[in-house]
Amino acid sequence: MSLANPPLPARWRPIRLLTNGALLITGVYLILVVIYAATEASALSAYSIESLLNNSLPLMLAAAGQTFVILQGGFDLSVAGVISLANVIVAVVPVEGPWGALANFAMVVGIGLAVGAVNGLAVAYLRIQSIAATLATMMICKGISLLILQAPGGYVSEFMAYELTGSLFGQVSVAALIALAVALVWVVFRRTNTGLALFAVGRDANAAALSGINVRRTRFIAFCWAGVFYGAAGYMLAAQTSTGNPAAGDPFLLLCFAAVALGGTSFSGGAGGVIASLMGAATLMLMQKVLFSTGVSSFYTGVFQGTVMIVAVLLMTLVHMASRQRRAQR
Amino acid sequence: MSVDQRLGEAGRMPADTRGTSRLSGETVTIGVIFALTVAMILGSRVISPAFGGWNQAETILYLASFLVFCSFGQGLVILVRGLDLSIASVITLGGVLTTTWLAGDNGDLVFILPAILVVCTLVGVASGIGVSLLKVPPFIMTMATGIIVYSLCLGVTRGTPRGYPAPVLNDVMRAELAGLPVPILVLAAFVAGGFLLQSYSTYGRRLYAVGNNPAAAHVVGLPTVRVTIGAYAISALCAGFTGIMLASYANGATLRMGDDYLLPSIAAVVVGGSSILGGKGNFLGTVGGAILLTTLATILSALGIEQGWKTIVEGGVILFALMVLREQVYEALRTWMGSERR
Amino acid sequence: MGSVAALAVAGLSKRYGATVALRSLTMRIVPHEVHAVLGENGAGKSTLVKILSGAVQPNSGTIELAGQPYAPRTLLGARRAGISTAFQELSLLPNLSVAENLLLPRVSGTRFWPEAAGSITRRAEAVLKEWAVTDIDPVARVEALSLAERQRLEIVRALSHRPRLLILDEPTAALPDATWLFRQVRRLTETGVAVLYISHRLSEVRELCQRATVLRNGESIDTVDLAGVKDDQIFAMMVGRAPERAYPAPVAAAAGAETLIEARGLTTGRLRDVSLSLKSGEILGVAALEGQGQLELFRALGGVGTHEAGEVRYNGRPVALTSPRRALRAGDGIAYVPEERKTEGIFGGLTAAANMSLPQVPRIARGGLIHHRLDVAATRTAAEAVSLADRYFGFRVSDLSGGNQQKVVLARALMTRARCLVMFDPTRGVDVGTKQAIYTMMRGFVADGRAILVYSSELSELVHLCHRCLVIYGGRIVADVGRDRLTEEYLLAAAHGHGGAAPLRAAS
Repeated sequence: MSLANPPLPARWRPIRLLTNGALLITGVYLILVVIYAATEASALSAYSIESLLNNSLPLMLAAAGQTFVILQGGFDLSVAGVISLANVIVAVVPVEGPWGALANFAMVVGIGLAVGAVNGLAVAYLRIQSIAATLATMMICKGISLLILQAPGGYVSEFMAYELTGSLFGQVSVAALIALAVALVWVVFRRTNTGLALFAVGRDANAAALSGINVRRTRFIAFCWAGVFYGAAGYMLAAQTSTGNPAAGDPFLLLCFAAVALGGTSFSGGAGGVIASLMGAATLMLMQKVLFSTGVSSFYTGVFQGTVMIVAVLLMTLVHMASRQRRAQR
Repeated sequence: MSVDQRLGEAGRMPADTRGTSRLSGETVTIGVIFALTVAMILGSRVISPAFGGWNQAETILYLASFLVFCSFGQGLVILVRGLDLSIASVITLGGVLTTTWLAGDNGDLVFILPAILVVCTLVGVASGIGVSLLKVPPFIMTMATGIIVYSLCLGVTRGTPRGYPAPVLNDVMRAELAGLPVPILVLAAFVAGGFLLQSYSTYGRRLYAVGNNPAAAHVVGLPTVRVTIGAYAISALCAGFTGIMLASYANGATLRMGDDYLLPSIAAVVVGGSSILGGKGNFLGTVGGAILLTTLATILSALGIEQGWKTIVEGGVILFALMVLREQVYEALRTWMGSERR
Repeated sequence: MGSVAALAVAGLSKRYGATVALRSLTMRIVPHEVHAVLGENGAGKSTLVKILSGAVQPNSGTIELAGQPYAPRTLLGARRAGISTAFQELSLLPNLSVAENLLLPRVSGTRFWPEAAGSITRRAEAVLKEWAVTDIDPVARVEALSLAERQRLEIVRALSHRPRLLILDEPTAALPDATWLFRQVRRLTETGVAVLYISHRLSEVRELCQRATVLRNGESIDTVDLAGVKDDQIFAMMVGRAPERAYPAPVAAAAGAETLIEARGLTTGRLRDVSLSLKSGEILGVAALEGQGQLELFRALGGVGTHEAGEVRYNGRPVALTSPRRALRAGDGIAYVPEERKTEGIFGGLTAAANMSLPQVPRIARGGLIHHRLDVAATRTAAEAVSLADRYFGFRVSDLSGGNQQKVVLARALMTRARCLVMFDPTRGVDVGTKQAIYTMMRGFVADGRAILVYSSELSELVHLCHRCLVIYGGRIVADVGRDRLTEEYLLAAAHGHGGAAPLRAAS
């Protein structure tokens, strides 16, 4: 006589897929695309799409990095500092040519990794609250950026400014390819043991430890990944703006959290994913375009942005609740 | 006699562990923060003989008061496991309303000031409703209300706030009473009131309970929704008050006047020993954190070093403070040695 | 006895700051043996488990594992040395799948590229099958499992590491049927594995174990052959004196008592059309196997959960129990004592006094500010009712033992001044002393015209405590048993939904 519940029916898995933040936010994105196309004649032109993707990519990368930290259960404010620092360095030490671009990339990713490692040490090993530790590293990075470049200036190598913001063979946007690559990296990573550990630690660090997971190492790695992505974000920002700005990272601070939240990643850790954050970031950027194209006074765009953010999150909560109810009635 | 009592008397429980270890940990943190601040002020005498005296301390307290006002609200919101990112915008709102509604006139001060505070509080109520009833993550909710409020300020002022606060407000900010600047007296009263509210009032007790374990608070029958909305409302009220004080002090408002207070308000709370995860913290620690941060900024400015170095040092000091004088170190030590079971 | 002990512990001690958790522990377990460790909460059992699992390091003493010195610094170190543990507080991750949980921390067995999901599932399936678990889907997320299924998963995970020494810490706390567990344990011991078994249920221990080491105050008092000692002797060793009778004599329910709560046709979740009435002066018990809808019933009455259909009357008037706050204000009040102490019961960061006085906060304040002396005074009466010593008032609740935490939760329920208590398994995982205190409190509570509805996973408790007992099976009340017919066997049979008594488990 078995007192246990019967095994779950196979059909609950599609429901789980539906409540997946990535799919939901992609739906929202598509709706915005339709509105954009309806209100802006040139919306679907190759140029317009390319520039939208280019505009979105830095925030997408930043949000991707932030997702790692949020999944393990924390916040990373250093995103603003690292982006500024990476941006400034690329603009001050431009190296020409494709190899130069690669060298620049290695530099900023290395810096991002270093800052991430410091954050990781502080949070995972010294047990400082992440929001506080990363606030400090953000300030230090910002300070260093200011020392390197007092005011916006410098220039970015031609290769970066043109090739990385253009299209491969005149067909496929490089930005889109990069975003795709990030998504693929995530798909593989989340199934690795470290990836699973990330979800485990974010949900319940104590249980994770008792399951044999190295909690500190997992947290540390999450911050390192985050730093790498911020470095890449600063790099792509430089390519897109063709200039360096010690305050370049500031707008990313709040926006990248908004992007992660739009993607449905839980701020208490252990649930969510990078792809959803990528789409969340893309949605935020598209929203600005849509507000402009629909003729909202630029003074008041914030009102709409804020409202859409709340509504989007509410919508996702509703869908989640509906699905949970269905599961409960099972 | 119960078995537990008997076990205790059998000597499993050493007598010296009576009382709350939490309180002693908090007291240590607060003490160290204030000691560090005083040491910093006194130490700055090395830089210039004009530093390190009462005058400088007065200036620092004066400047720190703004940060203390808005950090109090931030602290309450953090206590209930939230975060208030709308602080910057609400400070701006308070400032902009002060200059536009008063328009340099003392006339309707007694009506307009409360009206401004009510408007600001309503922003907090909106955030609180979103967080507690609609279950929007605090980070998103307050960021959204912040963006909306800022955008409205921008639209209403068409980008440039005009007008002046009532002259009497500006006078008050410069006035002295019993040899002390009025704003410092306001600060003292605010700190006393805030401390009592957070640590000794019935509302404070409920706030800690909700922050410590929201599910249990619900089961116990606490009005968790009201308690949470209250925290956000008070936070917005404090931010609005900060805006009024800032506008009165600067004799005008700008759209970016609140920006310098958002991250420092979080830093002050966290450096002051509160847990960002909620349920733990003490307002006096936050006050210490705010004064510490202001002292640092003041001394660095006085040194006339580059902005970049200034920021680096500030960040470094926050990091250092977090590492060394944290209750966490104390706590970590305890957890590392294992949790005591009684 | 065997020449080489599977585990030999000598003079083990562990201090946390000023507190001594383990004073001096010495014990020996031989291969093939299931060895029980008995003791009250706080006697040092969990510290022993933590040390052996590598989670904490002892201050002094030696451990030998199969003759080799053993000093693990991490959980994985312990696992490598051949010790694996099924933890009492279940170390599963709800957001991961069953398969992933089983195989942590190395879910993916391949080196450079993550292993295919299908292959992981197959490996997990094989593990589950090996330990005779066929009704848990390896693809399901753990959060979709019942508590009993999670408990089995935790045990399977410990078994699957092929330990030389298996530690089971309260493995049956959430298991309605221990047959499966006992079968696996016996299978394992046949191969020479030693098992360290910790449980509060003496009958279970007697069934499974050969010898037991009794701990008291962090010291090993003695190791006994279970066949040769009586329960009373073991209790005496645990508490250090002859125990009072486990259950005080039942008190007759007041005749002609008034009906306080009357529920009709309650339906929610698994609960189907349940009606009951709770009279003043009555302890009304509920018996059920796990997951028969009793949780839904209790949560609905406490206002924590909702109900889809049915109505509740209090003193004859319909009441809406939409929140615990409403429940407390309904009629003369209904206070709910939750099943999950940690998540819904205690405020770990607040002091014991603050925890208890929370429902009375307005009454202990003067001019909006809390008055310390009033706080303590108000709390004292309730604390006395559950015999919680005054000196714990200033402690953070998270620093108290499980038993004392439960006392705090109960004292708080008393502080609400509600006339009806709705208690879900109030004695789960607490020691004998605390149980005594809880029984005394419950009897005192109903003695002056108040009433209690209580669910317990221990049938013997219900038999001795209740004036009447309802049995729920499949979401319906299948029996209403009066005092005169109240026996464990009767309840057990009814709880299985039929008259013929099924040998499930004789509760301790």
